Amino acid sequence: MTSGVIHEIREFTTHDGPGVRTTVFLKGCPLRCAWCHNPEGLSPEPQTMRTARGERTVGRRYTAEQVAAILNRQAAILRSNGGGVTFSGGEPLLQAPFVEDIIGRLSNVHVVLDTSGYATESRFRRVAGMSQLVYFDLKLVDREAHIRYTGADNAPILANLRALSSMDVPFVIRVPLVPGVTDTGANLRAIAGIAGSLAGLVRVDLLPYHRAAGGKYAGLGMEFLPSWNEAQPANADVEPFLAAAVPVSVASGDIRLAREPERI
Amino acid sequence: MLATELAPGFLTRTCSFSTARLDSMRNRIRDGAHRIYRSAESPDVLPECEAEGLGWPRRVARAFRRVCEAETPVVLPGERILFTRTTPGIPPLYRDGEWKTLTGGSTLHELGPISNICADWGFVLGQGLLERRRVAMETASRPGHDERALEFLACAIETIDAVLALVDRYAETARKMGLTGLAAILEKVPGRPPETFHEALQALRILHAMVWLEGHYHVGLGRFDQYMWPYLEGDLESGRITLAGAEELLAEFFISLNKDSDLYPGVQQGDNGQTIMLGGVRHDGSPAVNELTAMAIRVALYTNMIDPKINLRISADTDLSLLGLAGELTRNGLGFPQYSNDEVVIPALVKHGYDLEDARDYTVAACWEFIIPGKGMEVVNTGAVSLPLAADKAIRQGLSADVGFEAILGRAADNIRERVFELADKYRRLLLPPAPYYSVLMEGCLENGRDLSRGLKYNNFGLHAAASANAADALAAVKRFVFDERSVTADELLEALDGNFENHESLRRRLTEDAPKVGNDEEADQLMVRLFEFVAEACEAIEDNGRGGKMRPGTGSAMYYIWLARGEPGDAAPPIGATAEGRKRGEFFSANLAPSPNAAIRGPIGVLQAFSRIDYGRICNGGPITMELSDLSFRDEDSIAKCALLVRTFAQLGCQQLQLNALNAETLLDAKRHPELHRNLIVRVWGWSGYFCELAPEYQDHVVARQLYGL
Ligand code: SF4
Repeated sequence: MTSGVIHEIREFTTHDGPGVRTTVFLKGCPLRCAWCHNPEGLSPEPQTMRTARGERTVGRRYTAEQVAAILNRQAAILRSNGGGVTFSGGEPLLQAPFVEDIIGRLSNVHVVLDTSGYATESRFRRVAGMSQLVYFDLKLVDREAHIRYTGADNAPILANLRALSSMDVPFVIRVPLVPGVTDTGANLRAIAGIAGSLAGLVRVDLLPYHRAAGGKYAGLGMEFLPSWNEAQPANADVEPFLAAAVPVSVASGDIRLAREPERI
Repeated sequence: MLATELAPGFLTRTCSFSTARLDSMRNRIRDGAHRIYRSAESPDVLPECEAEGLGWPRRVARAFRRVCEAETPVVLPGERILFTRTTPGIPPLYRDGEWKTLTGGSTLHELGPISNICADWGFVLGQGLLERRRVAMETASRPGHDERALEFLACAIETIDAVLALVDRYAETARKMGLTGLAAILEKVPGRPPETFHEALQALRILHAMVWLEGHYHVGLGRFDQYMWPYLEGDLESGRITLAGAEELLAEFFISLNKDSDLYPGVQQGDNGQTIMLGGVRHDGSPAVNELTAMAIRVALYTNMIDPKINLRISADTDLSLLGLAGELTRNGLGFPQYSNDEVVIPALVKHGYDLEDARDYTVAACWEFIIPGKGMEVVNTGAVSLPLAADKAIRQGLSADVGFEAILGRAADNIRERVFELADKYRRLLLPPAPYYSVLMEGCLENGRDLSRGLKYNNFGLHAAASANAADALAAVKRFVFDERSVTADELLEALDGNFENHESLRRRLTEDAPKVGNDEEADQLMVRLFEFVAEACEAIEDNGRGGKMRPGTGSAMYYIWLARGEPGDAAPPIGATAEGRKRGEFFSANLAPSPNAAIRGPIGVLQAFSRIDYGRICNGGPITMELSDLSFRDEDSIAKCALLVRTFAQLGCQQLQLNALNAETLLDAKRHPELHRNLIVRVWGWSGYFCELAPEYQDHVVARQLYGL
């Protein structure tokens, strides 16, 4: 049986898919987005985090059976409220076999995969194929910029996005709008261009960036060094999407920040 | 659970009246501008009471009359629902020495006067005070009544006359000011029954405010949308009032309930019991939701003040759109509405001896206890059983004596029983002061010549088993580590507890992070259920509470989550030290039904599942599952719809009572630092909400530190 490291299992995540959902946040991410709001989700191992209330451990190793048992206990509630389970991260595909193992043990539960798309195509296809809906993060289309801001090449991401479009799984593209980085006209037009050509796309969600996680970085002994102006409002321009006939929505409020409300 | 004939659009979220007039009225009330009319002192009635040698009931009536006479009619600018209290306090009826003689050997409940019950407002409005007076006269004229009954009836009549005389002066003042419409209303109500919504609200304002003048507190308003609806319905049907006009009047009534709240006694300001109950079922079991149900929520959304505190009775079938409207109110951050589940509460009340019709008419006392308007002289909060203390004593003694885990549980049961019996013994000596005016508002007092203090149809007591999650977590940790895994020795644990975990930080972290917790582990949940069984068994062993009633166990905690952890005001030391769930000495317990503050919980689903395991057929005194959701959970329509689903899940799982808060931790922290910027920030504290900046620091801290779920 597989096991893996989970950062947190959180119930009633109102912005991770349809209905009442429970989200499994898998620990570890291959990317290093400069704006990441989940620094405690980056390392694949359990960590100690300092908070105002003292130290606590972030991350715990579970077997797939344990996780499935927790989720199956509430499956009826999730189902009857039009919801299900979302796998998020970090990057859930970093622990793809573990995630597959969990999904395989779930009893009739709607699954959303929330991914950066950065994974091998076979891993990506397997887990996406077991999901009923995919939230696919698309940050930067320009390869150089992507490497600069996330530390990784976006070629596998774009390839997986095309692969997804050829599968029979509906998906939403989510774009974090970081002022002056991902919200530029050129980037939004490029994303709209790609989105307009994809079958199976439900819509594009624009997620305005909000100032956030500085404190958490410090608590983990990491540094947060934004190179953009945090005070500048994000440019949530829907025009390029409307022009490409792509359904688009703009989220209000602190999406990413809210992932980990600081326990005081 | 919606009646079919409701007007389309009745769930509209925004009021349709133009709010300029009430905006300024609300701000003036918040600023306390009306308080300049207050006199410095209340009348001194002691000399005349002594000179005339009056007994207790006569003194209460006399003081009430004198206070009414001392009230100065006040008509604030633009006001349409009158009454502003001008006397500051309730005069003493006895000198200290005499008071001690009178009450020596007895138990006075809290401050003494009858509190925390609910009148039958619909019944009194329907009769009018003059009819109540006639009933009293008629009863007095029937043969067979003893002195005590005749004295009571005379006192009741004295209080009715005092109210009517005060209202006459209000009418006169209004007439002199040229306010002929208002004068006409006051010449009619509350003496005669109201016929319009405006008249009914005016009558209720006076009848309710007068209860406080008799010295009572935690004065509930009951099933407002039920007893008020006939008046509004008549007005709407006849075209006497528009929907907007009705909303505006209702808003003014709600605002008026906030005028005198600084004069009300309570642990903290805001703890005043001015609750209203909405929704539910009628006497015949059919859905009771009407247009006023939604209007009251909508108007509360507008007024956004701490009074009245809104409760909503629901079931698994309640319409999601009504729950959505209620969610809008939750989003405001006041902690309203509090939900109770009819499908659980009503059968439990029936099981406890309430007639089905009465059970269907339940409302809540100040915070959460289920009571029947006009028919209950119940003392629903005789005190708290500290479950952490019961468990902690059992753990320490049991581990020292080297007994098994079941024996530790047995000791916990003994400790619980001991505390329950202690409360029951104390309240067997309960002395309730006479309450002639409050009696006028109840069913049967005037009819039978019996003061309310002698009891009504229902005379149960209640108690609350507080901080259950902390206690269960402590037991669960001991079971797991000391008995099942044997990874911690009894001595090691005892030493760590005695030393408040000094030099045992790694053990404390294990207890906190690796032990089973209520809300995320079935084993801990089951231990909590066992603790409540012990409480139920102890209460059920009490055949008669001394007043022909029972002892109802509940799940609330009121201020006990602080007092039980840190000691009551004035205590030298906390009553409990560090505990085995990894809690250090002095740290708070959880309030009502909530996971331990230090437990890592997955969220609301596990919490609802955990607390749905309690047998609410036995544990029926109320006390809500309390959950703080990040205010981001109410950010948009879609999220609010999900909150409605969560509330429905609560009902589907068979839980009893729920209280949701929308909380933004950053806002609260900022309010601590800059109170001047957050003067109107309202938070739920326990069964009530208050202005955050007016709370004592320890209550502020607890609000900030509560479990926050979301997004
Ligand atoms: S993909 Fe998400 S979790 Fe990974 S670094 Fe980027 S923002 Fe953080």
